[in-house]
Amino acid sequence: MKVLDIEGVSFTYEDGTPALKGVSLSIDEGEKVAVVGPNGAGKSTFLHLIAGFRTPFEGSLKVMGERLEERTADQVRRHIGLLFQDPDDQIFMPTVEEDVAFGPVNLGLDRVEDRVIQALRCTSIEDLAKRKPHRLSHGMKKRVAIAGVLAMEPELLLLDEPTAGLDPRSRSDLIELLRNMKRTMLMATHDLEAAAEIVDRVVLLNGSVVFEGGLSELMSKDDALERAGLEPPQIARLFKRLGAMGYGPQGVPVTLDQGVAEAVRVIEREKGRSRGRND
Amino acid sequence: MIVAHVRGHHTRPEELDEHARASWLGRIDPRAKIIGVVVFVVAAALLTRTELILASLSLAVAFAAMSQVPYRHLARMYLGALPFILVASASVALFAGLERGFDMWARTSSCVIALLVLASGTETFELFSGLRRLGVPKLVSTLLMLTYKYVLILGDELARMKTARRARGFKGGRSILDRRSLDVIGNTAGMVFVRASARADDGYEGLRSRGFRSDMKLMRAPRLRAGDIAFVAWFACVSSILAAVQLGGVG
Ligand SMILES: Nc1ncnc2c1ncn2[C@@H]1O[C@H](COP(=O)(O)OP(=O)(O)O)[C@@H](O)[C@H]1O
Ligand SMILES: [Mg+2]
Repeated sequence: MKVLDIEGVSFTYEDGTPALKGVSLSIDEGEKVAVVGPNGAGKSTFLHLIAGFRTPFEGSLKVMGERLEERTADQVRRHIGLLFQDPDDQIFMPTVEEDVAFGPVNLGLDRVEDRVIQALRCTSIEDLAKRKPHRLSHGMKKRVAIAGVLAMEPELLLLDEPTAGLDPRSRSDLIELLRNMKRTMLMATHDLEAAAEIVDRVVLLNGSVVFEGGLSELMSKDDALERAGLEPPQIARLFKRLGAMGYGPQGVPVTLDQGVAEAVRVIEREKGRSRGRND
Repeated sequence: MIVAHVRGHHTRPEELDEHARASWLGRIDPRAKIIGVVVFVVAAALLTRTELILASLSLAVAFAAMSQVPYRHLARMYLGALPFILVASASVALFAGLERGFDMWARTSSCVIALLVLASGTETFELFSGLRRLGVPKLVSTLLMLTYKYVLILGDELARMKTARRARGFKGGRSILDRRSLDVIGNTAGMVFVRASARADDGYEGLRSRGFRSDMKLMRAPRLRAGDIAFVAWFACVSSILAAVQLGGVG
């Protein structure tokens, strides 16, 4: 089943800034997709548009088969959990547990307390339940915001720059959390390394869609990356250099795990070669 | 509450809510607090006899002392309101005599002090949701909440801009007539409004994205407990005695 189905969507802000031009994208249930692109590429605009906050727009957009229009925005939004880039924009209540309950209570969902416990457990912040969210670190606030979104049990999770502004430890914890989460998600980011860890597919956005496919494939598109001002992750750059020196990998590895696997393969191959030469 | 989230790095108003929960007053149901204090304020506002006004002022001060809200905080807020109180009292003194002017000051102060204690001893969100559950139309309570949030964002943006301005060597005018200072101040004000309104938009989308339509609902609808009833009963009792003495001329 298609969770998200977008065809030829264009959007221009009231002041005349064209933010999106003819964007098409479709996401199946359980898929994780990243929208990558430089600052100002329209990533946030795209996510907010899907959440029904940028109407009217041109083109067609369906969430869970329901068509998004100005009139249906509130209804369609029930399928969607949007994580704002700044968690302060979506945390409202005096304690963590009340804040996580905020969405479910507003939507009139049942078993609110169960949902809250479940969401807190999923984000590993059960012990923060009674704390004041505004007193927490940025990383923990992000978790509270994610828990608040999860408690509404959305069919589609939209994440705007989830790793931005996190220290390295919180960043890798969050990546771990998102990687293990079994949900359909679309995340906007310019953190290609994080995207590589989490998603199955990427869309390179720069006003319009420039590329769509696997990340490792994107790594070999030097000119597209260059034009979008994106830096490939260190691992990918390392293997590209090695490739230029004649130690070419089979594909361009992007994550650490892929890098290790690729390195082992290259080492084994070189060993075999030198043994062949010695014999 | 809401405030603090909005404010990000700045910590001032959080302190305010910090003890709101910890104190006994913070645990009283907001509805009980609003009713109790409003009844007292209405009664206190009706008083004209100096000895009764002094009695209500002492009650308000006693309430403040028992509330566990830090004196300094209350004093700062009271000082903020003082110019208005003094202008009112001074004009009454001018036209109706010194004694009436003094009555005016004492009466207004007792009302203001009681309301300040109410506001500081309650989490802001609870205050608004308490109003809502007392029958204030949801449009009004939501508007209050959003306005309040907007004011705080404004303050936050202003503080940031001031810091940024100072970091770049702006000293503030030696005189308000200094042309350059005026320009800088004007631009700052413009930027503050632009940025605050962008952030307020984000905050509103944040609310909507979490299913908020127009009503403030709580996770657990609180039930009135004995302490809440005692709180209201005490204020109702004190206020009726004051009012009865005032109206009936007893004593
Ligand atoms: N509220 C707005 N009004 C006008 N233009 C905007 C607004 N928000 C964003 N833009 C513009 O739209 C473009 C895309 O912005 P955005 O979606 O925030 O990009 P990204 O999230 O990829 O950095 C940018 O040129 C930006 O300046
Ligand atoms: Mg963005």
